[in-house]
Amino acid sequence: MTALRSLAAAGAALGLAGVVIAALGFSPVDALRALVAGSLGSTAAWTATLLKTGPLLLTGLSVALAFRCGVWNIGAEGQLLAGALAATALATRVAPEAPAALLLPLVALGGAAAAAALGALAGLLRATRGVSEVISTILLNFIAIQAVAWAVQGPLQEASGAYPQSDALPAAARLPALGRVHAGVWVAFAAALAAAWLLFRTPLGFRLRAVGLSPLAARFAGISPERHAVAAFAIAGALAGAAGAFEVAGVTGRLYQGLSPGYGYTAIAVALLARLHPLAVVPSALFFGALEAGAGAMQREAGIPSVATQVVQGVVILFSVGFALPRKAG
Amino acid sequence: MAAGEVHALLGENGAGKTTLMNVLLGLVRPDRGSLALGGRPVDLRAWGPRAARDAGVGMVHQHSTLVPAFRVEENLAFGEPEAGRWYRPRAARARAEALRERFGLDVPLGIPAELLSVGQQQRAEILRALGRGARVLALDEPTAALTPGEARALFPVLRRLAASGCAVIFISHKLEEIREVADRVTVLRRGRSEGTVDPRATDARSLGRMMLGRDPGERPGAAEAPAVPAPGAPPALAVRGLRAPGLREASALRDLSFEVAAGEIVGVAGIDGNGQRELEEVLAGVRRPSAGRLEVDGREVPFGTRALRARGVAHLSGDRARAGLVGGMSIAENLVLKGSYDDRRFFRTARYRAGAAVEYAARRIEAFGIVPPDPRRAVALLSGGNAQKVAVARELEGAPRALVAVNPTRGLDLGSTGFVHEQLLALKAGGSAILLISTELEEVLALAGRVLALVRGRLLPVPAGADRESLGAILLGEPAAETAA
Amino acid sequence: MEALLEAAVRLAAPLLLAALGELVVERAGVVNIGIEGMMLVGAFAAFAAASASGSPALGVAAALAAAALLGALFAAAAVLARADQIVVGTAVNLLALGATGLGLRAAFPAGATDAPGIADVAFPLLSELPVVGPVLFRQSPYVWLSLALCAAVGFFLARTRAGLVLRAVGEAARAADAEGVSVPAVRCLAVLFGAAAAGLAGSLLTLSQSHVFSEGMTAGRGFIALTVVIFGRWSSLGVLGAALFFGLASALQFRLQARGLGIPYPVFLMFPYAVTLAALALAAGGARAPGDLARPYARESREAG
Repeated sequence: MTALRSLAAAGAALGLAGVVIAALGFSPVDALRALVAGSLGSTAAWTATLLKTGPLLLTGLSVALAFRCGVWNIGAEGQLLAGALAATALATRVAPEAPAALLLPLVALGGAAAAAALGALAGLLRATRGVSEVISTILLNFIAIQAVAWAVQGPLQEASGAYPQSDALPAAARLPALGRVHAGVWVAFAAALAAAWLLFRTPLGFRLRAVGLSPLAARFAGISPERHAVAAFAIAGALAGAAGAFEVAGVTGRLYQGLSPGYGYTAIAVALLARLHPLAVVPSALFFGALEAGAGAMQREAGIPSVATQVVQGVVILFSVGFALPRKAG
Repeated sequence: MAAGEVHALLGENGAGKTTLMNVLLGLVRPDRGSLALGGRPVDLRAWGPRAARDAGVGMVHQHSTLVPAFRVEENLAFGEPEAGRWYRPRAARARAEALRERFGLDVPLGIPAELLSVGQQQRAEILRALGRGARVLALDEPTAALTPGEARALFPVLRRLAASGCAVIFISHKLEEIREVADRVTVLRRGRSEGTVDPRATDARSLGRMMLGRDPGERPGAAEAPAVPAPGAPPALAVRGLRAPGLREASALRDLSFEVAAGEIVGVAGIDGNGQRELEEVLAGVRRPSAGRLEVDGREVPFGTRALRARGVAHLSGDRARAGLVGGMSIAENLVLKGSYDDRRFFRTARYRAGAAVEYAARRIEAFGIVPPDPRRAVALLSGGNAQKVAVARELEGAPRALVAVNPTRGLDLGSTGFVHEQLLALKAGGSAILLISTELEEVLALAGRVLALVRGRLLPVPAGADRESLGAILLGEPAAETAA
Repeated sequence: MEALLEAAVRLAAPLLLAALGELVVERAGVVNIGIEGMMLVGAFAAFAAASASGSPALGVAAALAAAALLGALFAAAAVLARADQIVVGTAVNLLALGATGLGLRAAFPAGATDAPGIADVAFPLLSELPVVGPVLFRQSPYVWLSLALCAAVGFFLARTRAGLVLRAVGEAARAADAEGVSVPAVRCLAVLFGAAAAGLAGSLLTLSQSHVFSEGMTAGRGFIALTVVIFGRWSSLGVLGAALFFGLASALQFRLQARGLGIPYPVFLMFPYAVTLAALALAAGGARAPGDLARPYARESREAG
């Protein structure tokens, strides 16, 4: 699927959403105007867009990388939450007094590591027990959601016990920011570059691509498809986990239920629209980030429920899939 | 053929046996000719699988078409055209039992088909065809997957079927079996019938000749004296006592031992399904043998693809599209595919030098005449001949100590075939040991200095100077002695 | 005790309905993770139609239609176009979430409450029986419907020719095709049935269990239905058992919560998923998934030489 088709898919999805909006009695033109203004029309708008783009970029990379390596990572949502959970635990319980130089990397890496473990679990279940990773990652998503709920109602709950949320993260654990745009966003952009570099410029990436394209030929070339599936999952998990860590350390400042508005699922649309290429995930994530950011404005000003963005996501997936998901042979 | 006759079809791979059956079954429309069943000619334009089945034509394929999770009686019921809207387990079972009795076929009922032995599955398929009222029953290489004992048990079954009025078509390349069970045999070669004879009245050599033809063919390999290794030097490649489980009973490897000396081409001839794939996979380090060892230059090689490669054993895959090359990757990437762990020219720690790979690929492309000469082009877009050139370019690089080449010219045109053969001969001249596993008898005879026959997972000796007919006879299961002129 | 069992059965009903639908779909070889979305549109359509017309029956009809529409979309993409079933299912869920949210704001800006519902019914004599009485015979008609459907699906799969054909398509599509069965047709029909069942389950949520509709109210029930199918090892009886198990567990939890003791609610909610995962990981032999599950089927060229 070429870039042209991606554009066509995105355009068609927006168009369809416009039709639906009109059918419901709203004005698609107003909707679009509000959308654009709310996402790109001012510094505040851009901030909102970038803040949404960050996690979408990381989870989008997670999904894209995994799919390319032949593993279906539907668990980005759960991995994100695991990362957020681990980050919060580290920052508020394990080492709340540590200095920023130590705490920040700890939080980020800890989040990534926890989520990587979750992903690797799914990978191992597939490699050793033949459990479909589609099912196991979906199950793990739900487990992660409840784990967060349990944590914020229990061991991680704030000292005052008033609400089901964690303590605020200590200042040392908060990501440095430019205005409201936290460093995590820039890390996400860097991650896209790193992912592209990994995939196309390192031996590991070479092998991951080979396994994704032809597990049988890879095996005959001395590359173990099973080991690489687990590796792919671990990397994918780490990316999503970092997204989660950055959300608590950069945006919300604490952990609570409903932290993610479904980033892990939108990530699937992001990855597919980007034809699974790490660099293309950047514009794709920006598109969806703008959509999410502008949706709020669209609701406020044009009266269209922000939930319309999900329609767009769904349609994008369908159109992208209709055109060409690389069908892995073997 | 007549009702009550068991008629065998004999021919090499590609002779046309399967196509002929597909016409009979209504899966392929012939350009010319006629077909008559029960004395009535058939309208071939309207002939399809349904019509064939209704007319009483049934087939038992090499690969089971039973639903593995269904029990035998469910499989029988599933194929039934008339039965009503309901499925009654007890009635189905009773029906199955009745069929079983009537035709004397021993098949366990009540357990899923996937748990049956291959022989039992086969009988279940026969039962299913009979349950549908088959009067003409074709069996495609039925003993290929059976143990010798099961194979022997099949023949009385077939004779009983014939006695009950069926016409049985028995497709095979095993002469002794054809002799035992068939009344007549028709030999096919390159889509033509070479004649219909009585298998018991015709000797193996004549049948072999009918099956393989009289083409002389070049034999440059045999013309040269077999390379004489330095005295006392261990062979470049040696296999000792190899045993490995097979995809099927007939293809499991049993106590294989052979040697290939440096500068020698040893050919392993055989008909598909006799263990070639298993042997290839063991030598590629992908299938773990249950016993035995591999040696390179006298030293044992531990199991594993990378270990073999490290010791200089190269592998030219028999399935280039799926197992040899990664179709979605470029020519350059395929050329360096096997070196991702240790080839420092392209793979340093944490760095894959794509540019170097592309340059290297450009040189190889030129050397081998690969077209189109674009190192970044995906291999899946290349023609068969060019794709094989990529594989050859990769495996022959650095003059490996030993090359295992499997069906290297399958699916290639004449020009590409010639090219591959040249490369193999050049490699041999350079001192590499080559093991050529091929189902193309002409290729083996033309290139190999020494030939072994792989029959049912065992290697049988082939006398030096053996020609096509004798080799064919050996592959058909006749011991070498009987074919001496 | 009776109250507990009665609650268990009541809570199991929507799971059972959706899971039975998915059972048929998966036995035909298709994985539809979009049942969550189909339940949701069913819930919404039922609510909207019933509120607008005052007739719950119309609500049910609307639920079936809306879910079937989504099912047709899924079938077109996943079965006919052979796109990846998981991805299409995800798309369906997203679409459903968005569409119902939009619909909610558009049609019920003031909030969606008070749909005319379907009341529980008590069988005259039978409901007086001890234990069994209230548990089975003083329930919503949905409960009986789901039990009847369970029996019907079980009978269909095991005792009818059509069921045999469907199972063959799911186990070995190639073999079925060789017998002249149209694999895509069977799968599409199965998907439509599954969608309708999910829609029905959704209508239960807004017409019987509660009388409101809120965004995303299915809250993962569709995914639990998926695990019910796996847990129930792809048999109708097993699905019944698994659904009841989850229903009982829910009922228990409410009980324990009311008593102020017990496991934290979220840990409890984790339970079905964790157990399913463990069961999957430990499963060795025994009942297994239909052989051709989630593999799009394309007939290879007939002119094999």
